[in-house]
Amino acid sequence: MGLYLARRLLAMLGVVWAMSVLIFGIIHILPGNVAYAILGEYATPQAVAILEDRLGLHDPLPLQYWHWFSALLHGDLGRSLVMDRPAGPLIFEALGHSAILAGSSFLLVAVFGILLGVHAATHRGTAVDRALTLMQLGFIAIPDFFWAILLILIFAAWLHWLPATGYAPLDGGDLLAWLSHLVLPVFVLSIGLIAHVSRLTRSSMLEALESRYVLAARAKGLPARLVLGRHALPNALLPTITILAIDAGLLIGGVVVVETVFAYPGLGRLLIFAIDHHDLPLLQAGMMVVTTIYALANLIADLGYALLDPRIRVGAHA
Amino acid sequence: MAEAAAPILAVEGLSVSYATPYARLFALDDVSLAIPRGEVLGLVGESGSGKSTVVLAALGLLGEAASVSARRAEFDGRDLLADAAALRGRRIGVVFQDPAAALNPALSIGLQVAEPMLTHQRLPRTEAYARAAALLGELGIPRVAEIMQAYPHQLSGGMKQRAMIAAALAGEPELLLLDEPTTALDVTIEAQILDLLEGLRASRGLSMLLVSHNLGIVGRLCDRLTILYAGRTVETGPTAAVLAAPRHPYTRGLLGALPRPEARARRLLPIPGALPDLRSPDPGCNFRPRCPLAVAACAEPQAMLPAGPARRVRCHRHALVADLPLLLDPVAPSRPSAAAPLVDVEGLTRGFGGPTLLRRRRTRVHAVDGMSLTIHPGEIVGLVGESGCGKSTLARLILRLLPADGGRLAFDGRPVPERPDLAFRRRAQIVLQNPDGSLNPRRTVEAILRRPLAHFGLAQGAAAGREVARLLELVRLPEAYRSRYPHQLSGGEKQRVGIARALATRPDFLVCDEAVSALDVSVQAAVLNLLQDLRDTLGVAYLFISHDIGVIAHIADTIVVMYRGHAMERGPADAVLHAPHHPYTEALLSAGAARQMRLVDTAPSGAGCRFAGACPRKLGAICDIEPPPWREASAGHRILCHIPVEQLARPGLRPGPAGARRPQTP
Ligand code: SF4
Ligand code: SF4
Repeated sequence: MGLYLARRLLAMLGVVWAMSVLIFGIIHILPGNVAYAILGEYATPQAVAILEDRLGLHDPLPLQYWHWFSALLHGDLGRSLVMDRPAGPLIFEALGHSAILAGSSFLLVAVFGILLGVHAATHRGTAVDRALTLMQLGFIAIPDFFWAILLILIFAAWLHWLPATGYAPLDGGDLLAWLSHLVLPVFVLSIGLIAHVSRLTRSSMLEALESRYVLAARAKGLPARLVLGRHALPNALLPTITILAIDAGLLIGGVVVVETVFAYPGLGRLLIFAIDHHDLPLLQAGMMVVTTIYALANLIADLGYALLDPRIRVGAHA
Repeated sequence: MAEAAAPILAVEGLSVSYATPYARLFALDDVSLAIPRGEVLGLVGESGSGKSTVVLAALGLLGEAASVSARRAEFDGRDLLADAAALRGRRIGVVFQDPAAALNPALSIGLQVAEPMLTHQRLPRTEAYARAAALLGELGIPRVAEIMQAYPHQLSGGMKQRAMIAAALAGEPELLLLDEPTTALDVTIEAQILDLLEGLRASRGLSMLLVSHNLGIVGRLCDRLTILYAGRTVETGPTAAVLAAPRHPYTRGLLGALPRPEARARRLLPIPGALPDLRSPDPGCNFRPRCPLAVAACAEPQAMLPAGPARRVRCHRHALVADLPLLLDPVAPSRPSAAAPLVDVEGLTRGFGGPTLLRRRRTRVHAVDGMSLTIHPGEIVGLVGESGCGKSTLARLILRLLPADGGRLAFDGRPVPERPDLAFRRRAQIVLQNPDGSLNPRRTVEAILRRPLAHFGLAQGAAAGREVARLLELVRLPEAYRSRYPHQLSGGEKQRVGIARALATRPDFLVCDEAVSALDVSVQAAVLNLLQDLRDTLGVAYLFISHDIGVIAHIADTIVVMYRGHAMERGPADAVLHAPHHPYTEALLSAGAARQMRLVDTAPSGAGCRFAGACPRKLGAICDIEPPPWREASAGHRILCHIPVEQLARPGLRPGPAGARRPQTP
């Protein structure tokens, strides 16, 4: 187990490092002069020269990369050019907002995805199962932003039950306002993924229910509760965990869309802002943070996998 | 036989059918069986006979898709169809076929054994676990404390099946249902498990239903037999009587198709044809299309007729069955070839594992360790050994499908390079075990057979069409099969296509890797006969690989016995099958010797005999330290052992109580 974890951790660090090269490379290999890209095409040559100097653009690329990467390792995420403030605090504040959004969505996805999947599998062929299947197909097929706009129209514009966009800080003590700003984005973010996870859980649960070991458990005369909970579920959840890790990645992508539509001040919107304003240091730093979070999600999935699967947790020989 | 005591399990007229999209499938049709208290009943049938359905029906686990009816189905006077849920796990225990699939991979062995006690007897956790440990110990599991905490993937096959039996016994059942309990296990392990069951029966007064396709194992354990064919019971009676003088043509056929070492010079008698369609059961005798005695009257419904003491047979012509031949004419003895060897293998070695960048294994495991072998033109060399002995690896090494770590390989007098040319590939072909996996399901038989012809540039167009006709004729498939797809063929027919494909290139050498192991006995016999005929007509040499020494004994001219990557004994088949034997060969041939083998799960560390860890005749430290010498028993018959040949000639069998674990050899 220890060795397994160490290997996974090493692999994760490798991925994060490779991504840093990629992110840095793509931004610097992009056609056009970076300084012009930032300052706009009417910039004076002096302004360009000053900026290029500040960005260290006269150094050779590997050296530039090294400066950037070693600063990262020291926790220095660089400076936003547009806002002229350190990128770190900007990113982490936005990240906090996004984390609430993504975290609560993920929780919903995990809980409802698994519960609905297990329910559908154990009630295979019933009306509930068929209705769920239909809904799953619909939610998987229809994209996030469609739901977002539809829900804003219904609940904000028409019924006036919920605010259409924005964010209310919690420190004002207004819990209800805070929550009401979250409902629609979280719903939009999680609904498609719940459908995704529950479909997969249904099929892996069905596979477990048809296995020999579940038949053997039934033959032992165990009550249905134990057959399901103890014998089928741990095995059925293995593929679900992998899917949850993949969905965590999709969630990060979804966050960008949803934050834009709902004007929610999270990391996704910050990244879009950075792209719009050619704020390259902010963009680089933001992407590195996203990458790291995604890699961590995968590491956590590997851990969960190991906990459920003794073939990984304990070695091959007794 | 006194029938005074009420049987513990009595089933009469059990029928099970399933609704399928197109038609009803009649899995069981009027099945009757009875198990007297304390007795073991063998339920024998081939695939498709419905034997596993009987087990599931008795447990009430057939699921909602099945409709079940019976005139009578009672367990100890209780209605089985109504009360199965309350009886299973408590008064009826079950052991399923493949323990690797039947044990839950995510739960510890301890929990899986203790579970019924926790649930049914409501024992406190510590007590249930203590009892589970005691039970595992009783079943011959060493290092119980460690095994209790282990997970299934850490146990060997024999250990897993012991754990399954322990779990089945945990609820203190009176009846044990055993569904092919040893089918997935090696023969030597099988002998030990059967012994264990025999012992349990005596010590716990258990009644058992042993479901099997294997006449050999039911003969060892069962008091009575019931034979099942395509959903119907066809014969029932005391074991010895049924096996000695079967009264139903199907039972007779099964016995005739069984390869046996003692009758190896005879041709097998396969049962022609295939299982009837279960969607439209024949109201008359459903064995009719395959029966040599069939007459017009057989179209009438057949009842179970009395046929001798305590025997019943579903055949109105049962009196004539005794006259049917059990074996056909002797096979032409193989001509020992004086020609130069076709295949010459020396010291072939191949290991797996070893240290890699991120994973550190202490040693590279040698799957094949210095194997030498010669095969002459037209000779059948049988290679026998149990799972993991390296026989399939050796096959791949000889065909150069896998690079060897060391050793020499020559074919037809010339060394075969690491990457052999097309000519070698054409002349040396392989037939694999699983016909399903090796035939492309989206191609017709014709397309499958044309592929090698095209690949090797042997025939095209109309010539290829003629070749396909020739090949189908060789493997005795009708010409019309050209346009069929694999899923339209039975298991035996698929294997014939596999053989035809291997023969397409007109090879001189064929490796048959467990080529008949997945087939039912009745079909297997036909394929074995076919292979034998092909050798006689085409002069093809075979390396015939099997875990089943019965099959090897039947077909091989020369036998090589392999254990842990190395040959233990080799020689002409007749010599190897008769004493003197290597102790391991002795265990393969006789259940008596196998039950004295020791449980081993670690590879021997020293340079000594590879079999030392399990050997029932081990001499002592010398076997661990010194590599044993090859001893010449007779011309060409050699045995790798420290025991002198004269002593090996005397059987090493020690009489001992059945079920007792073998005492350690001093
Ligand atoms: S009833 Fe007729 S067809 Fe059936 S087994 Fe007897 S002789 Fe053969
Ligand atoms: S050498 Fe020793 S351990 Fe090996 S088979 Fe002979 S007696 Fe058994």
